[in-house]
Amino acid sequence: MGLLSLGTPLTWEEAKPHADLVRERGIEQLLNIWKKAKSKERDILLWGDEIEYLVVSYDEDSKDARLSLRQAEILGDLAHDEELRKAGGCVPSLQEINQKPGQRVPTFHAEYGRFMLEATPGAPYGGMLRDLLTVEPDMKKRRVIAKQHMTKNETPITMTSFPRLGVPGAFTQPYYPPHGPIARSIFVPDEIINPHIRFPTLTANIRSRRGSKVCINLPVYYDEKTPNPFKDPTVQYDLSDYPEDGDVRNGAAKDGHVYMDAMGFGMGSCCLQITFQAKNISEARTLYDQLCPLGPIMLALSAASPIFKGYLTDIDCRWNIISGAVDDRTEEERGLKPLSENKYVIPKSRYDSVSTYISQDPGFRPEYNDVDIHQNLPLKQKLIDGGMDEPLAKHFAHLFIRDPLVIFSESIKNYLVENNDNFENIQSTNWQHMRFKPPPSAEDAIGWRVEFRSMEVQLTDFENAAFSIFIVLLTRTILSYGLNFYIPISKVSENMETAHRRDAVLSEKFYFRKQVFPPRYANRNNKGSSTSPGGSMSNTPKPAELGPVEDEYCLMTINEIMNGQQTPDGFPGLISLIESYLNSVNVDVETRCELARYLDLIRKRSNGTWETAATWIRNFVRGHPEYEKDSRVNAAVNYDLVKAAETLGNGEGKGTSLWKGLFEKR
Amino acid sequence: MSPPTSVIFRTGNIITTGRTSLEKSNQELLNSLRQNFEDAASRATGQQLSWIEARGGTYYAPGAEEPDGLSEERTEYDITVKLFYLPGVPLSKRRDHTREALQHVLRELRVPSIDLLIISFPNISFDAEDHSPDTEPTPAEVDEWAETYQALEALQLEGQIKRIGLSEFGVARLLKLLPRTTIKPSVDQINVRDCCVVPKPLIQFAKEQKIELLTHNDCTNILPSSALQSLLQENHHAAFGDFKNIEPQWVVKYTAVIQDRGVVENKGYFAMAKINIDGV
Repeated sequence: MGLLSLGTPLTWEEAKPHADLVRERGIEQLLNIWKKAKSKERDILLWGDEIEYLVVSYDEDSKDARLSLRQAEILGDLAHDEELRKAGGCVPSLQEINQKPGQRVPTFHAEYGRFMLEATPGAPYGGMLRDLLTVEPDMKKRRVIAKQHMTKNETPITMTSFPRLGVPGAFTQPYYPPHGPIARSIFVPDEIINPHIRFPTLTANIRSRRGSKVCINLPVYYDEKTPNPFKDPTVQYDLSDYPEDGDVRNGAAKDGHVYMDAMGFGMGSCCLQITFQAKNISEARTLYDQLCPLGPIMLALSAASPIFKGYLTDIDCRWNIISGAVDDRTEEERGLKPLSENKYVIPKSRYDSVSTYISQDPGFRPEYNDVDIHQNLPLKQKLIDGGMDEPLAKHFAHLFIRDPLVIFSESIKNYLVENNDNFENIQSTNWQHMRFKPPPSAEDAIGWRVEFRSMEVQLTDFENAAFSIFIVLLTRTILSYGLNFYIPISKVSENMETAHRRDAVLSEKFYFRKQVFPPRYANRNNKGSSTSPGGSMSNTPKPAELGPVEDEYCLMTINEIMNGQQTPDGFPGLISLIESYLNSVNVDVETRCELARYLDLIRKRSNGTWETAATWIRNFVRGHPEYEKDSRVNAAVNYDLVKAAETLGNGEGKGTSLWKGLFEKR
Repeated sequence: MSPPTSVIFRTGNIITTGRTSLEKSNQELLNSLRQNFEDAASRATGQQLSWIEARGGTYYAPGAEEPDGLSEERTEYDITVKLFYLPGVPLSKRRDHTREALQHVLRELRVPSIDLLIISFPNISFDAEDHSPDTEPTPAEVDEWAETYQALEALQLEGQIKRIGLSEFGVARLLKLLPRTTIKPSVDQINVRDCCVVPKPLIQFAKEQKIELLTHNDCTNILPSSALQSLLQENHHAAFGDFKNIEPQWVVKYTAVIQDRGVVENKGYFAMAKINIDGV
């Protein structure tokens, strides 16, 4: 989550007149950082993962699993733990963190949902392959530490969405009635929102700016006894406490769909995110672009959220739910009304797939940026006048078409160009599937970073480690071999939609580049004949004429993308590329053995040997004796499902058969 | 002047040359040599032979280009070199071959020293799935290893290599060789298809001796004579028409990895062969 400044937040009506000021200052702050940090060089590889947890609370008498709202108390207990304090502390928002090297303690953070925790390694992992062996133990330690600071009936689980968030009746502990003044949701109470003032303000301001509640409709999964046509029976049409109660009377809830109306449905989901430090700005831009087409592939492969608001849905992933849950665009911006108050018709939510590539690599062709994007042109001009190149200026000018959603009055008064608060205000409320992160300040030791944001959190730490490590190894392979995964950015967005479909991992095809190796005469170091003094270019064969972009990619299954196509010149598969990278570096026997287990998980998820968490969860529900085949996930099924997630999370379901289908036991 | 009697084959940096990197090392070597020959031939003007250079009794194929070297400071890199001694080559040549092979790598990467030199003896292999105890090496074998090893110890003392590595050594072989060394090997590289089945005794022994067990994916016979012959006889390599009865002597593979970032920047091979020109 973004930064948590303290102060007096402005309502949307109060904030609106300051929007241009915040944006202008944000661009000034960005330029200040960029000018000083653009020549940063030789930063080492550091990386980290972020895992989000749902905190559940069991009522063993009624066999119910609910969301615990004790986030603040749990973080408080973590901060006061004497042993953890001695080790350097673990709650950055509540205490000074002062960890000694080699004594890494995980750190814990608040998240949007008051039932969520986020945990990261206390210090980033390094670039040595051996460091990868510390990832899974670190993740396991986080789960154990978190659990130690909960009550006996509470537990952290790594399920992407809580199945019964927003059902009628009690799904939180304690119970609060829905329909508070902030979210104005028919389904969820305001008390599920982290009470830190930033989060209620964000919620209310998205609703105010939009001019209605957010609106998410997920196609229901029609099972044997699901009423057809399905009309979401939990929608209340006759409320009249707020103007937004009219949304549903104006058709907000669609037939055949599960309807949701609050930010909490999206931002209450849990993800697995990976951030890398690049050696310099140019490598960061390369990684941003090259990982971009992998976003939808990894979303489909990590799919883990088939249930929302107590119903099995026909989708497997959270992404579009969050996208809808923070969609602050007005009717004009959504193209429903002619523009008068607003400047642009904006095709995407603030939370959506990336719309523009940013690298200047030789492999980039202008045709790949085939989506016309709105840009804040006056601010782009400022960036260009400040010396920034066009592609990067365009990227930021695109982020800066958005309004700041939360403005603290103090930050307007206390402006310093050396800070990054105004920049981050816009940057950190653009939730795209990749994030390009400048150093926090011009003087900071931290370098240019790239965040990979599309993956869903997995039920076990073995799987979370496998997905994280896969991405890290892939970046090393991309950089070593100079791989090129570019496809037109519009195809990445299409893939993102495809990834959501039920069982997309096995039944859908995705646009993917066929030839990923660099052209034969490319020389990565830019040395050689082209720059040698007096050297003539005439002997160097010209690179083959570039054919139409459409010939560069085709539709592939995820199995083909990961495990390769069988044809002689077919795509070799990301896993064999990674393995050949591993064959080129010194890897000790133990590390190689562990890495093989992780790669095997990715391999077998891709070829269908093992199920995604989404499929596993769907099958669990459908096979439960108390499931009534009507798409509804009732409290009894939910209780057993959450218990199963807990058992898997602690020791991978050892002593049970729960893990069957998901992965192979050691 | 008598015609050259040996030839040095060079792949150049193959890390960004694409598909070859997906192959086993013997295929990788042959295919990347083929690719480098084609590239050199297509760059050469005039006479077809011009991309092969004769210098000081040796042919260079392709001829000496100014090597690119590495793009960052030497200290940023972990440079590993693996030297394959080939079957049928007299033991007496090992010392010279070792120095010669290393010199080519140092020149190619423009560095004064490397971090690790791993040697691979011909005709020995390691099968992790074979749980029978290693066959007892013969005294002659042990003498061969020890003598070769001394050449590496000398290079280490001269500062050209930091660490010495062996390959395919099980416990029985290590037990025989270690007493004959003054500088202990730091690395034992083993070929394991499934690296999770490395024999426990070897893991234990390596730990005690502070020898790091590394994995590799190279094959036992990296450059059979016949494979080299047929590469050279491919039609478009008419330049090699004169090379008959060519006998590979050694192959060296090198890899330069940027340590803190785990990025492979440079990787390639040299191979040396003895040639018998017709009528000589």
